Amino acid sequence: MSYTVDRRGFLRAAGAGGAALGLGGTLASCGSDEPDTVTLTWWDYFTLDNFQPGMERLIKDIEENVPNVNIQRRTFPFAELDRQITLAAIAGELPDIAIVDNVAMNSLGGGKLLADLTGRVKEWGQADEYYKGPWEGCQVDGKTLGIPNNSNCLALYCNTRMLADAGVEPPTTWAELASAAEKLTSGNRFGLALSAIRTEEGVFQFLPFLWQAGGDLDTFATYGATALEFLDGLIAKKSLSEQCVGWTQQDVNIRFMDKRAAMQINGPWQIPTLKKADFDWTVVALPRDKETATCLGGENWVLTADGKHLDKAWEVLEYTQTPQALVPYLVAFGNLPARKDLADQGTWASDPALRLFLNQLAFARPRQYGPHYADASQAVAEAEQAVLTGSASPSAAARTAAAKIDKALAEQ
Amino acid sequence: MTPDHRSPANGHRSPAARRRRQGYLFCLPGLVLLALFLAYPLFYNLWTSVHEVQLSTLLGGPQRFNGLANYRAVVSDPGFWHSVRLSVVFTLGSLLFQFTLGFALALLFARPFPLNGLLRSLLLIAWLLPPVVSGTLFRWLLDAESGAYNALLRAVGLDTLTHDWLTDPGTALAGVMFANIWVGVPFNMLLLLVGLHTIDPELYEAAAIDGAGAWQRFRRITLPLMRPVSVTVLLLGLIYTFKVFDTIFVMTGGGPVDATRVLSLYVYEVFFAFFRFGRGSAAGVLLLVVPLLAGALYVHRLRKETVEGGPA
Repeated sequence: MSYTVDRRGFLRAAGAGGAALGLGGTLASCGSDEPDTVTLTWWDYFTLDNFQPGMERLIKDIEENVPNVNIQRRTFPFAELDRQITLAAIAGELPDIAIVDNVAMNSLGGGKLLADLTGRVKEWGQADEYYKGPWEGCQVDGKTLGIPNNSNCLALYCNTRMLADAGVEPPTTWAELASAAEKLTSGNRFGLALSAIRTEEGVFQFLPFLWQAGGDLDTFATYGATALEFLDGLIAKKSLSEQCVGWTQQDVNIRFMDKRAAMQINGPWQIPTLKKADFDWTVVALPRDKETATCLGGENWVLTADGKHLDKAWEVLEYTQTPQALVPYLVAFGNLPARKDLADQGTWASDPALRLFLNQLAFARPRQYGPHYADASQAVAEAEQAVLTGSASPSAAARTAAAKIDKALAEQ
Repeated sequence: MTPDHRSPANGHRSPAARRRRQGYLFCLPGLVLLALFLAYPLFYNLWTSVHEVQLSTLLGGPQRFNGLANYRAVVSDPGFWHSVRLSVVFTLGSLLFQFTLGFALALLFARPFPLNGLLRSLLLIAWLLPPVVSGTLFRWLLDAESGAYNALLRAVGLDTLTHDWLTDPGTALAGVMFANIWVGVPFNMLLLLVGLHTIDPELYEAAAIDGAGAWQRFRRITLPLMRPVSVTVLLLGLIYTFKVFDTIFVMTGGGPVDATRVLSLYVYEVFFAFFRFGRGSAAGVLLLVVPLLAGALYVHRLRKETVEGGPA
């Protein structure tokens, strides 16, 4: 045990130990391939059962149609993927292809972990087919680091019957939202449900309010206060439960399904579940204040920088963007396309709820704020929680957060 | 009896040096594992804590030596000190309750009564549960709307006492502490019970004959004789509690706002939410200080006890 190893060499060895123990599996891909077949490793976070048939079908489709390629897929829980990618970078064991949350482009994009696809994309010439938000979400420092996988955004779901009973129209402005939520609140039922949890999920739901007020992260002291004040007003009137500081978007949907909330802010991925509800609902654009705004969600396909099979991986990416591969995949996931040329194909062409979300994509803004966005995001989440739990006033919370946000955005 | 063992009577005297060499050989596998999985990460962490390591420097970027800059960044962050305060409150609060409750239960179980063994093993389940499970359990129990505690309070007409335990920044720390105490009590009870059994019953008999009441027997015999065990239990509790992560992470994720972001969660966030590895390592080193001191104290005591042959 006296030979010296460098840090990466050591971690690689440790990784091999892990693989032998059944903890990893990345090394198994080497060595046993036929001479011409390239094995590509593929990581994503689609762990739920209902995603598996669609994903398996896509991978099979790729293996059949892209010559000499074999895909080895590995999944991680949602919150684990970024962490695993950074650990893999330290160990020098990055996957060839990954599907990451579009917000991860902030941290991963600044980290030299992702392959620069700019030249390939130019040659490919399909950049114009994508909606502006999703496409811009893949651009970091003037380079293309990914291809949008699918897109989503937020809108307002309304329980049709409850609104009719209260004599309320689906709200289109903040004022209407506040009065509707108040009228719809009774007994055990809140007028509105949204997620204000202390993670990116809560921030994803808060940013539209900030943008609708006419501000952005760099003007948080002013417009953050406006948005926080609006939400604080909803809490004060009991139209919104204080408990929302602990709710994920899944929790929010459960409240809506259980009729404990008359309206909810949520994304299109809830539609398959909501179709099973025993009541009628509609979905409308998020109410506006000074501006119309919603937040862009979804995933991007990325290739990693030290991949040995970049050309092959790009070939796979190109193939996934053909309608024959992409449409059935998106339909199986209940996702929306990030490509305009697919707008009139798939279920989203006919389903009115999906249609609404697809139309909203035009306004959806990516969260693209540079490598230290995570610090800013946490400051936003804590400001919202402080106000909603009554431990700070909107203006004080916004001021505190603004200082942290400015610092995070200035660091490059 | 090991083959190596010799008494003056059997006459075989291997040279002391050979015995020592053999001893080292037996230790080797353990030492290698320790070096690989403990010493290496520890030193790597120290190395990282004095270098500029971020996501952007992970692949090929320069990882410059930056002296104490990471440490300075950590100690100048008010969030760090907030976490330190929370950790201190969390640790002392947990220790106080789990020790006193554990002691009381140990006294109870030290005397024979029907179902003693069964109840004792049931209590131990709390300690055997993985923290993620007990954390999830308590998150449900303490939930404001559907939680069992609030339902219980409402059922007995104490509606005014119902509370949003985990979503109120004022009570969230108490909530996670409650869960941690519940997990820690059986551990304290078990060790203290063992300690109680080492006290010679004749002492109590003699004291009773001399006319000492229950309280006097407890104060004059139990407490002094339990001192060494108690110190050990508290030290072990301190080491364990100061670095608790999973229970809190599962229950509140550090929130609401930053009400339960103890030091371990702070370190985790700097690392895996903000990807500032250098700064995270520095904070990790600082997190180590308290358990390390407690650990050194514990080893010191253990050695003293072995040397002096005092009560274990």
